[in-house]
Amino acid sequence: MAINLKPVDVAVVGLGAAGGVAVLPLARAGLKVAGIEAGTWMDPSKDFKPDEIHNNVRSLVTTVPKAKKEIPTFRTSPDAKARQAAAHPMMNAVGGTSIHYHAQSWRLKPWDFKTRSETIKRYGATLLPKGSTLEDWPVGYDELEPYYDIVEHEVGVSGKAGNIQGKLDPAGNVYEGPRQREYPMPTLRTCDFLDHMHKAARSLGWKPFHAPSAINSQPYHGRPACAYHGYCDRGGCQVRAKNSTCFTTIPEAQKTKNLTVFDGAQVTRIVADNNGKVTGVTYIRDGKEYFQPAKVVLVSSYTYENTRLLLLSKSKAYPNGLSNNHGQVGKHYFGHWDAQAGVGVTALFPFDVNTWYGAMLSQGVVVDEWADDTFDHSGLGFIGGASLCTFMEKHPIAAASMSTFGRAPAWGSAWKKFVHENAGRWTTSYLQTNSFPYENTYLDLDPEVKDPLGDPVCRVTSGPKDNETRAAIYAQNKMEEWFRAAGAVEVIKGQPFGPALSTHTYGGTRMGDNPETNVVDRWGFSHEAPNLGMLGGSVFGTSGARNPTLTMQALAWRTAEHLAKNWKSIAGA
Amino acid sequence: MPGEISRRTVIATAAIVPVAALTAAAQTPPTPSALSDAQLRLLAAIVDRIIPKDELGPSASECDVPVYINRALADYLAGEKPAFIEGLEATDALARRTHNAAFIDLTPEQRDAVLTSMDNGTAEGFPNARAFFNRARRLAMEGMFGDPYYGGNKNFAGWDLIKYPGPRMATTAADQRMGVEISPYHHSAYGAGGEHGH
Repeated sequence: MAINLKPVDVAVVGLGAAGGVAVLPLARAGLKVAGIEAGTWMDPSKDFKPDEIHNNVRSLVTTVPKAKKEIPTFRTSPDAKARQAAAHPMMNAVGGTSIHYHAQSWRLKPWDFKTRSETIKRYGATLLPKGSTLEDWPVGYDELEPYYDIVEHEVGVSGKAGNIQGKLDPAGNVYEGPRQREYPMPTLRTCDFLDHMHKAARSLGWKPFHAPSAINSQPYHGRPACAYHGYCDRGGCQVRAKNSTCFTTIPEAQKTKNLTVFDGAQVTRIVADNNGKVTGVTYIRDGKEYFQPAKVVLVSSYTYENTRLLLLSKSKAYPNGLSNNHGQVGKHYFGHWDAQAGVGVTALFPFDVNTWYGAMLSQGVVVDEWADDTFDHSGLGFIGGASLCTFMEKHPIAAASMSTFGRAPAWGSAWKKFVHENAGRWTTSYLQTNSFPYENTYLDLDPEVKDPLGDPVCRVTSGPKDNETRAAIYAQNKMEEWFRAAGAVEVIKGQPFGPALSTHTYGGTRMGDNPETNVVDRWGFSHEAPNLGMLGGSVFGTSGARNPTLTMQALAWRTAEHLAKNWKSIAGA
Repeated sequence: MPGEISRRTVIATAAIVPVAALTAAAQTPPTPSALSDAQLRLLAAIVDRIIPKDELGPSASECDVPVYINRALADYLAGEKPAFIEGLEATDALARRTHNAAFIDLTPEQRDAVLTSMDNGTAEGFPNARAFFNRARRLAMEGMFGDPYYGGNKNFAGWDLIKYPGPRMATTAADQRMGVEISPYHHSAYGAGGEHGH
């Protein structure tokens, strides 16, 4: 029997990038919050190291026991048998994936929120991606802007505004939506290679700019500036300059004494009563089962686990899974068409680029000309495109494992000579393609593969998409043009095969006004269970051509603030 | 990946070593070994064709790449030890079939011929040859270019080969300049003497 705990106002399931932000406005509003996290606190001095074998080869920061045993299965067609993937993109820790992410912190574009209607208006319905279930978001950029602003300042984002209240500044991204004020910190430091790429983009008539990032470019809120040591990727930050929620909003919320963190606590079910209201969550901690009663539950685990947890939580009121009486949980899932989907471009230069050190994508230069609806798509046969990013940070094993670009064998003395000359002369780029939900992309429970508790793991079905393939290839050609303008002598483009398991995933509990096609309403609360809220990428209806975390955090803050302001009607106290 | 379990197993095993060994361990930490001396010699002969000694610097074995692989197979990669040993033995058997001699008794050119047939998938009677060769090559890269803390990259020769300037805890704008030689920082991420650790 589960041990009954003292009731709280709000149970937040998962203290990562989204849940770790939502706890702050809740706690400040005086609500008693239980932050229930399957992972534990990590220790920057012990767990984070400038060590490629630790971070990248063995994935010791990102590989945690719970997620390892819940790796989703994957297939490319609803007719195929899904196989369990070799590795997982999830994370369990206080701070979650915000510990090891690259920290690029973007606002989505106004177009991302109304892609469907804008496409029909500009090009006609025939250009809508075939087979897609694309809808406009129920919120627009203007409604989200104040929350982007709050999170940029609470978490700490370094960047340069390109559009302050309609006034454009080419030092920033002139294609961004209007913002009310400048970023709280300037961009991370530039350097020779970034200046070189910046100049090359300008020579093409493009408008490059330095990436926005949740890494301190100067001391901020009592934490130091970035040390640019070059081990940001898949590693945590020893000096706490990366603004992971375990260093920022979670400790801030703890100061109010209204947040209690239960770490090492794995939530197994969300419980609902016969009237369809949720009453709390059950979790396992140190082998014991607990029931945490709560007036409101906010689910903020990874996209795969958000859907899985709802589908596992069956009850009399929800026989097909929590909030799934319309059959929409798991639908409208999609992964981002980025490097993990084969959308890469790698270049070799005839000179050393010295990209060894730095702060990954956060110390990067971006071109936004070929993303979203920034350019005319008439006659192109696709919508969207991709942001193009060149960046710093390269590790020695990866550097030596470089492509030989057909110029040398892969081993032996000739290879040694090649890497001696060229390991410092190559670099790669990061392209993120606008991606959309489809009828043949969805999540459900695997019929065979189970986790150690006997619960089915998540099954990912992600079918082919012509629109994204075309957009990705178009953007790859632009990236090649950029590298060539910068003097590259060899360029290799990846094959865009589409996302499998990914660190950028969306949907499954999509946000929308229509309960027939969406799980949560415009505030992030269930259309069916009024005191259940969903946070994270699982509520997104489009991806944008950029990293999702800041948008997740802005939405999480907005959902939490809405809850605090409408406490009586939502909690039904 | 079996990493965490194998790590625990190693620690558990270490807990029951005799007292005399513990005294010795106080000076030099016990080094787990997955491979026999003969297997280590064969491994060295293989990785030394992947990364040979030449005018650009030492060979893989001179940089303790086999030490890295041996430790990894005893620890983090314990789960793949049987398959790796099988691959080593199959490589030697291939040498004996094609050249009538053990791999370590072949000339460098003959060793290259054996490894090339494995790399391009033409090695007869060795169906997993390509997978094993790629794995051995990958582990050689880790041992050559990884932090010396794990046993390889002796004297930072791997980092010097590719001109990686070393893991500094903080870097300046000058460290990110192009067109200048960044002087190498020969330190493990685990501090002075870290290269002797693990």
